[in-house]
Amino acid sequence: MSRRGWIGSIALVSALVCYPADWYPNSWRITIAHWLGPAGYRPLPPAVVISPDATATGAEAAEPACPPDPAAWREAKEIEGVAIRRSPNCVADDPFAVAAFVRGTNNVSLQTLLKSGLTPDAVVKGRDLDGDGDPDEIHIRLEVVELNGGSPEAQLPVTQFAIAPGITPGFWVFAPKTTGMATENFESNNARAILRLPSPAIRVEQGDRVQITLENAHYLPHTIHFHGVDHPFLDANGEGNDGVPITSENPVLPGRARTYEMQPRQPGTMFYHCHVQPHVHVMMGLQGMFIVEENRPDNWVQTLNIGAGHVRAPSVASRESFDREYDLHYLDIDLELNQLIQQHNDPRVINEWLHQRYNVTQATADMFTLNGRSFPYTFRESLIITRPDERIKLRIANGGMNPVALHTHGHKTTITHYDGVEAQPAARITRDVVWIATAQRLDLELETTNDGLHSYGSGVWLLHDHQGRGITNDGIGPGGNVSAIVYEEYLGEDGWPKTFGMKWNRFFDERYYRGAMSVFEDERFAPVESDGWRLLRLVGLFVALGVIAGIALSMLRQRLKTNR
Amino acid sequence: MKYLADTAPILTLLICSSVLAATPTVVGSPATATQSHQHHADHQMQFDASGMVMNSNSTELPRGCTAISRDYTFEISAGTKFAARYPGTTYAMSEHEYTVDPCSRVTVTFINTDEVRHQWMVHGLPRYLYPQGMFHLEAAGGATQTGTFIVPSDDRTYLVHCDITQHMEKGMKGQLVVGSGSGDLWAVPGISGAFNNDDYPVTYGFLVLALAVTGGMLSTLWLLWR
Repeated sequence: MSRRGWIGSIALVSALVCYPADWYPNSWRITIAHWLGPAGYRPLPPAVVISPDATATGAEAAEPACPPDPAAWREAKEIEGVAIRRSPNCVADDPFAVAAFVRGTNNVSLQTLLKSGLTPDAVVKGRDLDGDGDPDEIHIRLEVVELNGGSPEAQLPVTQFAIAPGITPGFWVFAPKTTGMATENFESNNARAILRLPSPAIRVEQGDRVQITLENAHYLPHTIHFHGVDHPFLDANGEGNDGVPITSENPVLPGRARTYEMQPRQPGTMFYHCHVQPHVHVMMGLQGMFIVEENRPDNWVQTLNIGAGHVRAPSVASRESFDREYDLHYLDIDLELNQLIQQHNDPRVINEWLHQRYNVTQATADMFTLNGRSFPYTFRESLIITRPDERIKLRIANGGMNPVALHTHGHKTTITHYDGVEAQPAARITRDVVWIATAQRLDLELETTNDGLHSYGSGVWLLHDHQGRGITNDGIGPGGNVSAIVYEEYLGEDGWPKTFGMKWNRFFDERYYRGAMSVFEDERFAPVESDGWRLLRLVGLFVALGVIAGIALSMLRQRLKTNR
Repeated sequence: MKYLADTAPILTLLICSSVLAATPTVVGSPATATQSHQHHADHQMQFDASGMVMNSNSTELPRGCTAISRDYTFEISAGTKFAARYPGTTYAMSEHEYTVDPCSRVTVTFINTDEVRHQWMVHGLPRYLYPQGMFHLEAAGGATQTGTFIVPSDDRTYLVHCDITQHMEKGMKGQLVVGSGSGDLWAVPGISGAFNNDDYPVTYGFLVLALAVTGGMLSTLWLLWR
């Protein structure tokens, strides 16, 4: 046999030997197994254990579950005569901003104003029109702010707002008018606490003369539509007041401002959002809750609730009937959309991608937020904290593209209002899964009386969308809008719940949500390392195939030579 | 790291810190307040509904300066209308580069021609003179703010920008060149290019590239088979 023949035969045999056994048809494998008996033992590839704990080698480690609160924002305070309730959650709103929103940025001291970071005209409160001891002229100024946006020079999103460890989709939000830098400081890339998702919950009193000025500091046109809030189609000057570009007005261009006017006659939990290309702009985060409180004497309401959540200075009507009040704003996110503003910088190119190329009919939601964050960050700031025998008002809005099937562990809540309209007491439903359609609002009454119906007693009881996708971060659980109802006896000093399950550090490691870590702590479930043996066989197979191809080519060359 | 650290000024800018949010104790009326800062300089801070002037300094000399070398006055307008000169921006200024002598005194009048806030914020100034290393003018929609500061003695290029989200990214970026400066910053409209560029369309791109490949192939064949 020629040299070529020898080499060819060896290569052919090697290829057959190296060819992975499981690639042969099953019937052949069974026949061969009958001839040869069981294969020899070889140790299977080992696991890679990735620990979320800090290591001496300087490897990545998880962030702390509950960051410190150096400025004591969580504590109860009296600022500018405003009683601000304690916020027992690990992360609380800035109490100086709360005070400025209650009194009005025109009525507080310069010191409070500077601490809040607001401009003097952010929330202006004017005359008491009905003489009942509280202001009834309210002028709110909102700017459009971009979070996690792109940059012509930076490699990371700028003005960052992480909704979960390592997850920073781009957002647009309405934000109160602030002054100074948008980040915590010049070294930091993190947005200031007041600039965040979701857009703030707006609170006014029934009968207030409300003006809301949209100062469009963004690079695309926007408007505001007041969904469910009593407002005239045209304002006093005959200009469009409904926020809809196709029926009431032209959009507010970059650098321009417009003032909307209304005097809502009916109380209730409502909604507001941008109405320019709403299938894109609403989903980018330009949406917030709008609450009209019942008129009461001396009713100084907290005009804005930053990031929704715990209401630290509740209205008179709320204090009459409830021990605590929470605003819960649900929003799901299609990462494919929200990444576009990071991938492009030229506003013309961004406009084309968002409005001409992105197709919302093919959208799938990937992230599921409650008050702008996904689990585990929801546990920092959106726990419903209670004591036994309390009555709690939960105002819920679903701004997402999908409905939410909100389930309360350990409790059955009563739906008191649908879309801001009170349900007749006889028609009220008490249940443990409430279905909230897109843009719908529900007011729930949570009673923590341990009667086996309203509550099953103290504990750390989950509160979450019961649809599978809603409890994941882009498919990895636990994530999404998972939060909890926590009784104070189960709450630590720092606001973190006392739990009896898995360690928390795993969920505060961004590698967990990149899918790099096992979902279990037990090392027996750690992901498997590369299978060296299989790699060796495949390399052998491909070398042999290469040799065979080389022989074939040399034969072809010879044939061509002889022909010539 | 916040910005691409390529040129010296950016690196030095990263050293400066702190926020407006971490406000020192302030006393006085809302119209004008003096910061009780332990350092000298007339750190007048003006703050009202028309905006703010922060860390104005017209008398205290930076280290290394023996006298004010020269006085400069800049009148800088800002807004959407200036962006028309630079395709792909939304906000811009009448000028994006300001060249001054070391140890000179710079008075800036910042005119906002839009209906939203704008800022003219310098970073990286010596922190012993300018808290947080900043000189900051902020003008509410339609407002004008004026402030003065004295630049240090060394040749350096300082970042000037508007820190409202996306305003720098969409055009409101400038550079203050002291002396001969220390190199251009990235992405200053009319001055320097971007590091991350968008994928702009190329007309007849496929056809042109197909012709280019074919042309290259045919000319090589012709050369070799000749």
